Amino acid sequence: MITAGIDMGAQFIKVVILDDGKVTARTIIPTGFEPLEAAKKALDNAMKEAGISRQDIKSIVATGAGRKSVDFADSSITEVTADARGTIHLNPSVRTIVDIGAEEARGISCDAQGKVLDFAKNDKCAAGSGAFVESMARALEIKVPEMIAISLKSTKEAPINATCAVFAESEVVSLIHSKIEKADIAHAVHDAIASRVSSMVRRIPVEKDVALIGGVANNAAIVDVMQKHLGTEIVVPENPQYVSALGAALSAAS
Amino acid sequence: MSAIEKFHDILANRHQYAMDWKERTGGKVVGGLCTYVPLEIVYAAGMLPVRVLGTHEVQDVTDRYLFPTVCPFCRDTLAQGLKGRYDYLDGLAMGRTCSHIQGTFDNWRNYISTTLVYYIWFPCHRESPRAVDCLVGEYTGFKEALEKLTGKPITDDGLDKAIELYNTNRRLMKQVYELRKNEDPPITGAEAMEMVVTSQLMDVVEHNKLLEELLEELPDRKLDRETGLRLMMIGSEMDDIEFVQMMEELGCTIVIDEHCSGSRFFWDEVVPGEDRLAAIASRYVHRWPCPAVSSNFSDRFDRVLKIAQDWNVQGALVYQQKFCDPHEFDIPLLQQMFKEHDIPTLVLEFDVTIPFGQFRTRIEAFLEMAELEVL
Amino acid sequence: MTTNMKYKTKPLDCWQWGKELRLEAYQEFLKGHEEGKLMVLGCAATPYGMLAGLGDFVFLAGEPYGASVAADPPFSIPCMETYEAKGYSRDMCGYMRNFLGSMFLDKYYFTGGSFPKFDFAWSVRHCPAGHPKWHQIVSEYQDIPMNYIDDETMLAVDGDPEHRIDYVAGQYLDTIEWMEKVTGRTYDDEKGIEAMRTYFRNESLWGEICLLNGAIPAPLDIKSMFALMPISMLRRHEKIATDFLTTLRDEMKDRIANEIAAVATERYRMCMLTPPPWSFLKVFRYLETFGVVFVGTYVYLINSGEVKFLLDEGEAVPATVPEERPGWPEMKNREDLCRTIARWRAEHPFQSHLDIRKKEYIIIYNHWHGNAYLLLMNRGCVPMTTSMYDFQRDMQAHGIPVAMFEGNFADCRDIDETGVLDRLEAFLEGQGIQKLPSL
Repeated sequence: MITAGIDMGAQFIKVVILDDGKVTARTIIPTGFEPLEAAKKALDNAMKEAGISRQDIKSIVATGAGRKSVDFADSSITEVTADARGTIHLNPSVRTIVDIGAEEARGISCDAQGKVLDFAKNDKCAAGSGAFVESMARALEIKVPEMIAISLKSTKEAPINATCAVFAESEVVSLIHSKIEKADIAHAVHDAIASRVSSMVRRIPVEKDVALIGGVANNAAIVDVMQKHLGTEIVVPENPQYVSALGAALSAAS
Repeated sequence: MSAIEKFHDILANRHQYAMDWKERTGGKVVGGLCTYVPLEIVYAAGMLPVRVLGTHEVQDVTDRYLFPTVCPFCRDTLAQGLKGRYDYLDGLAMGRTCSHIQGTFDNWRNYISTTLVYYIWFPCHRESPRAVDCLVGEYTGFKEALEKLTGKPITDDGLDKAIELYNTNRRLMKQVYELRKNEDPPITGAEAMEMVVTSQLMDVVEHNKLLEELLEELPDRKLDRETGLRLMMIGSEMDDIEFVQMMEELGCTIVIDEHCSGSRFFWDEVVPGEDRLAAIASRYVHRWPCPAVSSNFSDRFDRVLKIAQDWNVQGALVYQQKFCDPHEFDIPLLQQMFKEHDIPTLVLEFDVTIPFGQFRTRIEAFLEMAELEVL
Repeated sequence: MTTNMKYKTKPLDCWQWGKELRLEAYQEFLKGHEEGKLMVLGCAATPYGMLAGLGDFVFLAGEPYGASVAADPPFSIPCMETYEAKGYSRDMCGYMRNFLGSMFLDKYYFTGGSFPKFDFAWSVRHCPAGHPKWHQIVSEYQDIPMNYIDDETMLAVDGDPEHRIDYVAGQYLDTIEWMEKVTGRTYDDEKGIEAMRTYFRNESLWGEICLLNGAIPAPLDIKSMFALMPISMLRRHEKIATDFLTTLRDEMKDRIANEIAAVATERYRMCMLTPPPWSFLKVFRYLETFGVVFVGTYVYLINSGEVKFLLDEGEAVPATVPEERPGWPEMKNREDLCRTIARWRAEHPFQSHLDIRKKEYIIIYNHWHGNAYLLLMNRGCVPMTTSMYDFQRDMQAHGIPVAMFEGNFADCRDIDETGVLDRLEAFLEGQGIQKLPSL
């Protein structure tokens, strides 16, 4: 059976096509101002990649912040449920999932079947999200990949205290003025995010294994500091930004 | 080392000081949340009362205990306990005041293993003629709990001595404050704050000795900078010395304050009486109030205005810990009062997580504005 | 024809009567002065039946007034903006902000006319620093006398509580003298005692009504409770409230006997601890589309009602009135009255200590046959929210599923409605509860 999962993220739309439990296509495009159009396009791209047509797809499930706008989907599930399903499918030993997306972070505790036991989300705080990394990279006048690379080489601690992204940005500016090394500032930015997110995640039981998913999971510097903050190894599944979409596609198959 | 340097040193090493004190005296240490714990009774029990304070560093250990709108000071103090920095405490006490510090206390009781954790049900209706009797009832229970902890009775003699020592401490600090009335005060606001905060952390006998040294040093002391604008600091809990230093470097001197790590804490003495507990209770009921236990504006504002005038202030920095509602109730009308007396005010909402840079510009602008008014 | 409808349903027979009684309370208020009645400002926990000793009076409790304003954003937003323009902070008590804003604007919500001027304010310091400070501001702006009773959680904290009861009873005695002074009236003990008897009776009735909602299906849902509660909250001292609450209670018993549900699709029962976000009551309607029915909230069980929690047995039963309690004296004079109120307040679940309250949350959840708790992390009320994580942990340790959302219960600008619905949907999904097929 062929199914599709569409993750309507704040910044990107991700589509996964599943054929009897095997991923046959993955696509990602920016959400933009016309999310429904973008979703159709992402699905079209995915169908092309998988070499199938719309009739071949048995069921489509949408997830993510904009899931309700996908009028061609057969049903929708929340990203919390999708995260758990997708992650457990990839790593059955995971019991705690941390998802850091562009605008939101969440912690999910689940059982071996991928049933959600408890979850926590950040409330209106960009300092714990991918958007924050990007705006900080802009402040440092470097690209995100470079920021990650230099951050991993940082040797000194620099403080960023603000819980608020707006204040944090001005702190970064102050650090630049006080001639702190870029690498140390980059590290401080990642550390600030990890600190915010892990303190939110600790509101739910943090049991091993812990997985980090979402677009930010591709950021090796974040993974590194998150491990320190949570005091445990972190598993990053392959293609972490597609886990929600995969969860939706799995749900469409059941 | 000058007395001022000694205060600075002890403040920087306050946990070491308390642990050393335990070591050399064999006594026990009791932490206090807020300033409504009767120091005299704790000291009379042969114990060292220390105020539990934060460190102004960012932490992420309290989020699962306290809701984000609990004030940063209360989060900071709980964090110290959770991080084990107060593991040397034999007891922790609090006098009922506001719901934020109550949150700190409740979580301390449930999640930090301090031997004795005691709640003094302070009668917050201070205007009631029944309040002192009620507080005597509370002190009776507290006294028994302390006696049980030490295995020794608290005697009238011990209470008399403690009352006398703390009254002396208050009197000496007031003498230092008097010198701040000078046209050029011999001590900065940051230094004065270190003096008061250490009085909340040190053995009162030792603190008194340092105060006497200080009072000998001050008449010959001159600050190596101009006094600049004479400011008053007023608001909720404040022991951020670095912040005060930063501010004074911008061209002003804090000459007087009204907060619980300053005047509000030590201003009033115990008037000795036959019934020792009643004498102490009367002091804590009628002392300069925290707005959390005051429901009458003139009760607090009259005192504020009097010191503002007596210390000839040219501006007031009104600051509050973010989310501190007791102060938020008072601030608009407090500002209005200052305005009626032509004293410019700057209101700052304080949070350990907000960097100084945010404040610096505002303070500089305020100083420029206040200077214009003085001219 | 639909399979969703599990139960019969019908509107309450006494609904219209209840609506009238509720509106009357707010509207009568403004006629107070014309009719020579005392106009008193208080809080919902003020034992205002005592005021009857001074003669006729009308009483306005700040919290339900603030809640009514908050539920109506076009009225509420200008109120809060006016309040903020005076320099007051946005993170303070949400009810107070609506109330004070309405006062600063000089607009009374229920009539659109001028805001009432009170003869005096009389509150209870039940939320630390809260209500007396609120009244302190009213007293300053309206130039009226204020007084308060300090009686927050007296039992189960360290030390022997007896002197606390003396202190509180003493404050009531002093308050009577103070009221005589500020009103120039003489206090009639008999009348005060009589009205307080009614007050206690009505509290017990409202508690009993809330307990009846343990039946499956629930005869009343939370929305109706919110609508009817002002009667028990504002008219607790009146005989007419006794008549109404008795009728309502009997009707509920009837509904239970006949399995008449408040929500015909009931299949998942949720409980709360706090008031709801007032500008967002549609959240309850929305959840009904999942077959979720809210059967009660702890705070309204106990802040205008009273029940007795039997901690050892793990049961909640209707509370007896003070004079029927073993060892409690008959109220014969002013001293009896004041001491009775002090003791009754001390033992009232409203004042339960944190550790006991935790147990009560579990008991009432079981009594209501809950399937989950919904906790509001309320940015508009510190005391209500400070220990919420602790409660959450305790509930989860008892195997109770807990859904949480953050927002302000009285500031429509400070709640992310889409985010909240999203979160609740995710929670229900985790519980295996799907939206019901459209009817």
